[in-house]
Amino acid sequence: MSNVTITNPKMQSINLNVWFGKKQALKDINISVKTNAVTAIIGPSGCGKSTFIRTLNRMHELVPGAKLTGQVMLDGKNIYDDDVDSVMIRRHVGMVFQKPNPFPTMSIYDNVASGLRLTGAKKGKNLDEIVQKSLQQATLWDEVKDELKKPGTSISGGQQQRLCIARAIALQPEVILMDEPCSALDPIATAKIEELIVQLKEQYTVVIVTHNMQQAARVSDYTAFLYLGQLIEFNQTTTVFENPQSELTEKYITGKFG
Amino acid sequence: MNRLLDLGLEQLTSVVYRMAELAEKALHLSIGGYMENQNRATEVHELSDVLSTMSVEVENKAFELIVKYQPVASDLRIIDSYMKIAYDFERYGRYAWDIAFTQNKLGINGCNAASEDIENLAEKVIGMVSVSVRALKQHDAELAKSLAGTERDVDELYFHYLDEISRATVESKGNICNILVARFFERIADHTTYVGESIVYIATGEKVTLR
Repeated sequence: MSNVTITNPKMQSINLNVWFGKKQALKDINISVKTNAVTAIIGPSGCGKSTFIRTLNRMHELVPGAKLTGQVMLDGKNIYDDDVDSVMIRRHVGMVFQKPNPFPTMSIYDNVASGLRLTGAKKGKNLDEIVQKSLQQATLWDEVKDELKKPGTSISGGQQQRLCIARAIALQPEVILMDEPCSALDPIATAKIEELIVQLKEQYTVVIVTHNMQQAARVSDYTAFLYLGQLIEFNQTTTVFENPQSELTEKYITGKFG
Repeated sequence: MNRLLDLGLEQLTSVVYRMAELAEKALHLSIGGYMENQNRATEVHELSDVLSTMSVEVENKAFELIVKYQPVASDLRIIDSYMKIAYDFERYGRYAWDIAFTQNKLGINGCNAASEDIENLAEKVIGMVSVSVRALKQHDAELAKSLAGTERDVDELYFHYLDEISRATVESKGNICNILVARFFERIADHTTYVGESIVYIATGEKVTLR
């Protein structure tokens, strides 16, 4: 259950239910995502946290047999209304995945520019500026500015993940979703991504799924704990990690589960 | 299967509970000695020193657990609170020593504990220390909260005693001794409420002020 009230949320799931075939993955989820804040989704494997984050930009629809009831609001508009284009939603609500996935045949520059080109942007000064700004916001510019033509896969794993964040930023989304963005990275690369996440919230709204509870505690302002497809607790992060209201949350975050 | 953190928490708890016993013993010895005009300074001093050492031990263990396990929720509240409680128990020991030292310095027979206020204060403070230790061992928030009422009684007695002494015409060593000891009693009572606040925090996550 939600233990906190967020007024004028950037995004909001209302009575959200999701099925994959006959299996119900999410049950009546009500979570509000605050503007310019980081919201973390935690819970054990299979609890539905990745499914939840994917419903926020309709990516779960790519799974055959997916069915959804309820609403997901972006600035007060249901993104599942018939008149909403899922491609446009994914432009407004970008996604960064667990494993860095730069386009292997593209240069660093082209990786960042790829989304813009798909949406009709042409070569030129404006595109250069957006690529540079995106790489700067992703705190990667200083490391790659002299090798923009090198393949995106030629840089380290941590740099590749920041490249993927730059690629998402280039489309100027309002919300950035991150699905375990550090799970394939070493501690130093992880620390850089975490610093970046905290910086990003000044301009974007961030939702992050993480297995690492300390990471949720470090970077997020609000935390939702999901278990068996249900929302057990949603509250300010400090409260969840200092004085959780649900015994189930307490057991999970202190490792007393099972 | 026990968590690795549980073993560390058990060790930490064991040291804090041992401190509780020693702190209570130190206060019984020093307050009892004061009321009965007996010199317990040596024993109390030893206990006070042991409590100081154990307080450092608790702090070191707590830091070790934080560094190793990054505890959260009730684990974190216990570690944070045990550090504070260990300090309070160290203070119990230190005030026990202060009482014994004052009595010793001014001469056993020079101290006069006959005042009714001092006797009442001593009884209440010993009771509060006992409640604080019991509440700790049971993690009993309600029992801990009950310390607030007794602390008000102690303050009332303390100020009543100061009023009385301010009107006294004879400035005896006994009165000086009693004023100092009354002040130590009042401070011990304060520290029992700090222990109580920590226990409430452990048990409920609520941050309260009991004085």
